[in-house]
Amino acid sequence: MRRSYITIIEELIRFVLSVFFLSVLVFTLSRVAPGDPLYAYYGDRVEKMGTLEQEAARERLGLHEPIPVQYVRWVKNAAHGDFGISYQYKRDVKEVIAGRLGNTLLLGGLGFVIIFVLALLLGLFCAWREEKRADKIVCGIGTLTSCIPEFWLSLLLILVFSVWLKWLPSSGAYSMGAEGSLADRGRHLLLPLTVVVLGHLWYYAYLVRNRLLEETRADYVLLARMKGLSGKQVLYRHCLRNALPSYLSMMAIAFPHILGGTYVAETVFSYPGIGTLAYESARYQDYNLLMLVSLMTGILVIFGNMIAEILNERIDPRIYLKTEAQQRR
Amino acid sequence: MQRKFPRFSLLLLAMILAGCLACECMMTKDPVYMDLANSNAAPSRAFLFGTDAMGRDIFSMIWYGGRISLLIGFLATLISTVAAVLVGSISGYAPSWADGMIMRTTDIVLSIPSLLLTVFLQAAIGGEGVYRLAVVIGLTSWMSMAKVVRTEVLQLKNTDYVLAARCLGGGFFHILRRHLAPNFAASILFMVVMNVRNAIVAESTLSFMGIGLPVGVISWGSMLSLSENALLSRSWWMILIPGAFLVTTLLCLTNLGNYMRKSINKRHSNL
Repeated sequence: MRRSYITIIEELIRFVLSVFFLSVLVFTLSRVAPGDPLYAYYGDRVEKMGTLEQEAARERLGLHEPIPVQYVRWVKNAAHGDFGISYQYKRDVKEVIAGRLGNTLLLGGLGFVIIFVLALLLGLFCAWREEKRADKIVCGIGTLTSCIPEFWLSLLLILVFSVWLKWLPSSGAYSMGAEGSLADRGRHLLLPLTVVVLGHLWYYAYLVRNRLLEETRADYVLLARMKGLSGKQVLYRHCLRNALPSYLSMMAIAFPHILGGTYVAETVFSYPGIGTLAYESARYQDYNLLMLVSLMTGILVIFGNMIAEILNERIDPRIYLKTEAQQRR
Repeated sequence: MQRKFPRFSLLLLAMILAGCLACECMMTKDPVYMDLANSNAAPSRAFLFGTDAMGRDIFSMIWYGGRISLLIGFLATLISTVAAVLVGSISGYAPSWADGMIMRTTDIVLSIPSLLLTVFLQAAIGGEGVYRLAVVIGLTSWMSMAKVVRTEVLQLKNTDYVLAARCLGGGFFHILRRHLAPNFAASILFMVVMNVRNAIVAESTLSFMGIGLPVGVISWGSMLSLSENALLSRSWWMILIPGAFLVTTLLCLTNLGNYMRKSINKRHSNL
């Protein structure tokens, strides 16, 4: 028990260090990269400004100091919850993000839940019908979907469902004047959600399938079969239970990826979310916005990895024992 | 459980590759010539796959642009493979504190969203162009392969033959070339093929989003970057045809890669 406390403290220290390095990295990279943040703030008016005016504007935004000084000031302000203003939107970055966070959480979160359930079901089905026709068909379709780039799938869906059939809207998160309507929201969500789900689904379903196939070759399956359990019962009761820990830890890592991987769908469908915001802020040197967005996604990734590691150790003590044995050696 | 050799995929891939390499013989029109009188034309006998919004012949563009897309795929994979082998084997071979540090750094780089990393790198390298894009894609896609190489090297470095080579005074690069690389080559071969696929996807996605190749440089991705227009004018051929070529190539590469993946287990299921 003592040991596990130590691991948790160790993990925490590692977490803080990782976040620190991540923030330094993003801060430096974004400022070293060429491009002028004044354009984000003033637009094309910058070209009409004199050198002195530009200097004054830079000083107002605090961009004239050396990078380490800027970083220290940013950390000091961030500690008080002040992340600065977005140059492009001229509002507190927290407000800008808060206005869009819900949309991305809805798209990515819903996508994650669907992927989580469907991948497990598809994996189970394929493992059950291994090398039979049904398995081969599902694997074939799955491989095909995994080969379609997300942006092209989006175009295809828009072409078929919005342009040809005119069933679903092609862009936005809701129609004008129907902000509160749930049905309208759902109609707008359907196509981007399909893209997010199909973009990731087969990768995870195939992993589940292969993991289960490994299990079905273990000796305990033979024993359970000899006891008189049917193949299906063994698959559900024993194989699935053994494969589940690794699946859970895998999905902990997958969560930030799916949530953060919605930007292509968001861009093509003009869906107002964090993904498009991150992309804009990186392209147009909107430093403060960029810092907060990449810190948020970065923390989510690091957090997901941590949970995966803890899950692995907690649910499957064999991994823990194995590392301990390695350390002793 | 022995996988069948993907004969059909390989044949199709060879055909696309040959068509792109010999694009001078395949092209019926000049791919960069803008025939404004015939812009947005549907597929016909004169324009086999139709023309795009700028009046360029799509049939000719496919072969001409495929060369660029495939070139970026292979070049980026070459860069990412070299980077992955170097980082992975150095990390696996180094003492555990250095290994830990290298792996932590890799994890931090991995936690930056790949799109942001691409934008940064592109800004840092500067300019637009085929080779620059290949370098950017290569430098953003070596991480997961490096992890596999590292795990393999960790297991290999304590084997007797590596120890013997070290005792005889073999340097790191000698051991890497003679003893480590031949052993982990099989397990990363699958990832190498998949990296070609991912690099082609990355090129097309970035060009589509307007941060890859400009419209003037023809590739499958930059052809598709005009598709917002095509949606408005309902020119389906502008979207479906380049996309179909793209997906076919990716599918063939995936089948090839899956074939090279180490078979999980050749025993029969006990179910």
